[in-house]
Amino acid sequence: MATLTRQDLNFGQVAADILCEFLEVAIHLILYVREIYPSGIFQKRKKYSVPVQMSCHPELNQYIQDTLHCVKPLIEKNEAEKVVVVIMDKEHHPVERFVFEISPPPLLSIRWKLCIFLICTLLSHVEQLLRAMILKISVCDAVLDNNPPGCTFTVLVHTREAATRNMEKVQVIKDFPWIVADEQDVHMEEAKLIPLKTMTSDILKMQLYVEERTQKT
Amino acid sequence: MDDLYLDNIDEFVNDQNKIVTYKWLSLTLGVHVNIAKQMLYHYLQQKRNESSGTPLHATYLVSGKCVENGSTCHKVSVVREDKLDAVKAKMDVTISVHVYSVQRAELKDSSPLYNTDYDAVKENLKNCNKYSAIRCAAAVSLSSAELQRAQEMALVPPVEKEISKPGLNENTSATSKPSAKQPAGIMGMFASKNASKSQESSKEVKTEQKEDSSLVREQSKVSNALKVESKDTRNKTKRPEFVDRDDEEIESQQKKRRRIKKPQPDSSDDEVVPDSPPVHNVHTPSPKKQVKREPVSHQEESSEVKRRKRRRVLKSNTFVDEDGAFVTEKGYVSVSYSESEEEPEPNSQAKYSSSLKQSFGKRKEEKREKSQKKTSTANKPTKQPSIMGFLQKK
Repeated sequence: MATLTRQDLNFGQVAADILCEFLEVAIHLILYVREIYPSGIFQKRKKYSVPVQMSCHPELNQYIQDTLHCVKPLIEKNEAEKVVVVIMDKEHHPVERFVFEISPPPLLSIRWKLCIFLICTLLSHVEQLLRAMILKISVCDAVLDNNPPGCTFTVLVHTREAATRNMEKVQVIKDFPWIVADEQDVHMEEAKLIPLKTMTSDILKMQLYVEERTQKT
Repeated sequence: MDDLYLDNIDEFVNDQNKIVTYKWLSLTLGVHVNIAKQMLYHYLQQKRNESSGTPLHATYLVSGKCVENGSTCHKVSVVREDKLDAVKAKMDVTISVHVYSVQRAELKDSSPLYNTDYDAVKENLKNCNKYSAIRCAAAVSLSSAELQRAQEMALVPPVEKEISKPGLNENTSATSKPSAKQPAGIMGMFASKNASKSQESSKEVKTEQKEDSSLVREQSKVSNALKVESKDTRNKTKRPEFVDRDDEEIESQQKKRRRIKKPQPDSSDDEVVPDSPPVHNVHTPSPKKQVKREPVSHQEESSEVKRRKRRRVLKSNTFVDEDGAFVTEKGYVSVSYSESEEEPEPNSQAKYSSSLKQSFGKRKEEKREKSQKKTSTANKPTKQPSIMGFLQKK
């Protein structure tokens, strides 16, 4: 993405930071709303000026942070097409897939818009959009069926072949290897598509939808 | 009352899967809150009577008197429908019950309720009680002049309090306030009127003190702080002379060191203080002379009272204010550090909760923290190298 030396800003980095922070909050919220983990481990915290539920469990938090730490460089280079949170039942068949489709915003609008005055409005606008996304995730249980007990989750990233090779070369975090996902994790048979929210802004373009298996138990 | 509103609510709840609170409904439809509550109630009745379609959930606001720990109190709570009867039974007197919200989702916690009202209330902040039943004729918002005056009043007492404190520490406490206010002030020019007013008012207060002819030591220290803030001269040995007189032995050594000091490089954007071992002896960066003096001065200093000093440092500071405006600012900043103290308080402010704007937050720092770390990196080779030395502006 464009590097704006005037402000010593790497705009791509900034957008990636915002997005990764949002994904962290979103993953925690999905785990809370879909009851993957007991609600006792969650604690209310504040993000984007609204309360959100975040887990207190250190290993879970570390896992999510490491995951996103590895995903961030892909987002910076626009190589991450989708980030998917897959919820699987006891037999490791996916029952739900929360898909965050990420696309890069149009570059042109960024360049001329990036001056201090507009950054204020830009960021508060982005915050508003992300708040709406959080709200939609909170009420998604209205449109989804209940999950069977004993579900687990995992995070997939759809990216390009070259990027995976780079990732293997430069292992971002040691002892946190990424492996190519199985076909069964990636595609779900008899899936219903439920769109949740789309957001378009000058620094981020993101779409969230849920693929749900028709028969969950 | 015609029934169009029922269709509206239906659309909000079923088609858009929104949480419809009475507050949001009143702001959206432009009706009084009591009417909004009745609308929700009618809608709920109608849908429940139909007994078809998607199930609806509701939350209620219950207020009443109850006895807790021996004292009666007025309790107001938002409860889910399934807990409504239990809560009503607990209360001695139930004063009011009304529908708080209607939604399709079964909410697990109350955060979405706040979330859905947030934007609507924020848009209507000036007149958010337009449709409200709570009124107070005496409550009128301040005009902007009154607001400025109120902010000045708020600033003056803490500054005066700091003046009355004897000793050197106050020097730094006085500077820390303006240095913290200064970014807010500069960003305030872009962001909001209020912040700039507070900066102007703080400068006003300081210049007033400067002009005060009593020349109390403490006051002149504060005025020195102001001079420092305005970044007039590239004065490396920026130390108030009054303080110099106080501690002569160590003073001369430190003064000497300070004169040798070169301007700080522009590596100001350090991270939050990590768990590196605290550096005891913080000196200006001229290694050769330091090495010789350090064993001598260290003992002297450690035997002396802990002292805070200030000096001017060329900094390039990139940060974000409350409103998210992002600014790089280069200039001389009075920065305090202590000879014998470890990092005293940077951690208290250095850890920011992650918020949207702090995605820029790599650069958002407490200036003092930076200077302390910087001086710690300038330590002699005899010291264990601190992790700070590797931090550079990105």
